[in-house]
Amino acid sequence: MSCLIKASALNKSFGEKQALADVNFEIHAGAPVALVGPNGAGKTTLFSILCGYIKPSSGQVSVLGVTPGKSETFGRLAALPQDAQLDPRFSVLHQLKFYARLQGFGRKESQYEAERTIDLVGMSASLHQKPDGLSHGMRKRVTIAQALIGSPEIVMLDEATAGLDPLHAREVRELVASLSGETTFILSSHDLSELERLCGQVLYLDQGSLKEHHTNALQEQFRYFTLRMEQQEPELIEVLTSRDYVVEVLNSQDKEYQIKVAGESADLAPDIEILTLCHQKNWRYRQLVNGKTLENQLF
Amino acid sequence: MYWQFSFQRAWSLASFELIRLFFTKRGALALAAFVTVWCLILYYPVSSAAAMVSSETFKDMAMQLFGTLGLSELLTWPAPELAIYWLVAAYSFPVFSLYAASDQTCADRTRGTLRFISLRASRTEILLGRFFGQVMILFLLMLFTLLAVVVMAVYRDSGVFVDTGIKGLGLLKELVIAVLPFIALMSFFNSFIRSSRLALIACLLFFGLAPVFIAVIESQLSIFSVLNYALPGIQLSDVINRQGSGVANYLIPLGQTCCYLLAGDLIMRRSSL
Repeated sequence: MSCLIKASALNKSFGEKQALADVNFEIHAGAPVALVGPNGAGKTTLFSILCGYIKPSSGQVSVLGVTPGKSETFGRLAALPQDAQLDPRFSVLHQLKFYARLQGFGRKESQYEAERTIDLVGMSASLHQKPDGLSHGMRKRVTIAQALIGSPEIVMLDEATAGLDPLHAREVRELVASLSGETTFILSSHDLSELERLCGQVLYLDQGSLKEHHTNALQEQFRYFTLRMEQQEPELIEVLTSRDYVVEVLNSQDKEYQIKVAGESADLAPDIEILTLCHQKNWRYRQLVNGKTLENQLF
Repeated sequence: MYWQFSFQRAWSLASFELIRLFFTKRGALALAAFVTVWCLILYYPVSSAAAMVSSETFKDMAMQLFGTLGLSELLTWPAPELAIYWLVAAYSFPVFSLYAASDQTCADRTRGTLRFISLRASRTEILLGRFFGQVMILFLLMLFTLLAVVVMAVYRDSGVFVDTGIKGLGLLKELVIAVLPFIALMSFFNSFIRSSRLALIACLLFFGLAPVFIAVIESQLSIFSVLNYALPGIQLSDVINRQGSGVANYLIPLGQTCCYLLAGDLIMRRSSL
């Protein structure tokens, strides 16, 4: 897999405040990458550096082999920056065509590209409308469309589904999943279940420092299961802990149990055994997740 | 840091400025206001003053007045309409260009639109594309007003068509060169100011305080008189009177334009978006 983005010893300060501290990571072409962290952790700062909007105070960063903002990245890296808006004076079509023209498309191709990308986000009916006439969610989808012009190699979406209704948020997730083969998405979101579903690599920022997680990586010594129940089951911890293959059971959240497993049960696989137990004890479960949830991994 | 520039991208940015003026509601309103003001200028000062200048009764008085102002050469022009137009246009277009070019990147920067554009064009291309877009707009506006004056002159006397046309082309060239440093100054202010209103205020302060500042330090050390060449329009009175060195009258505005664009580019490339 080719390395798309590489950051080493990246620091960024705004006056006294250090927004990023010694950040190192690599992003390779492939599955979407999640950028998560609490408010003020430095996510938008990192996005801005990768897009070339701001310069790092120190350290090295390369995007597609060059410094961010260089012409080599034009048309190959696209982004939806948080809160960036289209020009309210021009129709959606006009602006998408303009961006396509800047990316080197001809007159006809830019029209086709504008129609193709707006169709991808399900906004074809609003092609001739001005951004002011659209709702917040619709404007967001249009700005996602601009990021897809020319099928770039990297697309960075900062809070892409924030403010979208569940149906359209799901459409955006499906869009990201369907385009993941040709484009590497970098997604910033507070919706961890969304990121968990989509991403293979998680960059977790906290107070400017980076902790990296791989959601698809195998847990070396132990396996984990996350069991979500309809209601709290007081005896669940005791019953499960008594099994010889269960190392530990934690009540990670209300109605949620994290089960740490070592080895296999003599008769059945641990997950089958857990479900069998639920059936025998008449515990009504909602979901059994193979592994820790991203939320439990990070926090 | 090497210079990144693509004429294709700069042209796309410049031509988008034309669309902004001619095909948006706000642009059309600004255009309507411009046309109205120039209709008034053409109807009252230009047309009536031209009649006065060309009338035998007022000729001596006009000669005296224009002679005092050093503008006697203007009376020898083929059409007096053009002379009056030149007097009005040489001062009004530079001032108007400041207003017209006050929002080259400000609104886009505040709205975040510049972030979309900067992923597709270098900051130098954005700055120069927008600058040339404004130059094209001003060029077209000046061309339209000049055509209107030529039509007025030809309507009065059809024999002056060729002479007026040639003179008009010369004036158009002079006017374009005159407005260049003003637009470039606005490009410079736009490289770091986030609102067109603030950019206009900065310009006002610049033209109000810079001459005072230069006069003060010039009184201490005469070598600083060279700073006067940083003020756009310093050559305008010479250009209007058609006096002084012709080369200097071109070199000064072109040099100022280059300097302001370079300074703007330097700031733009270093600024956060």
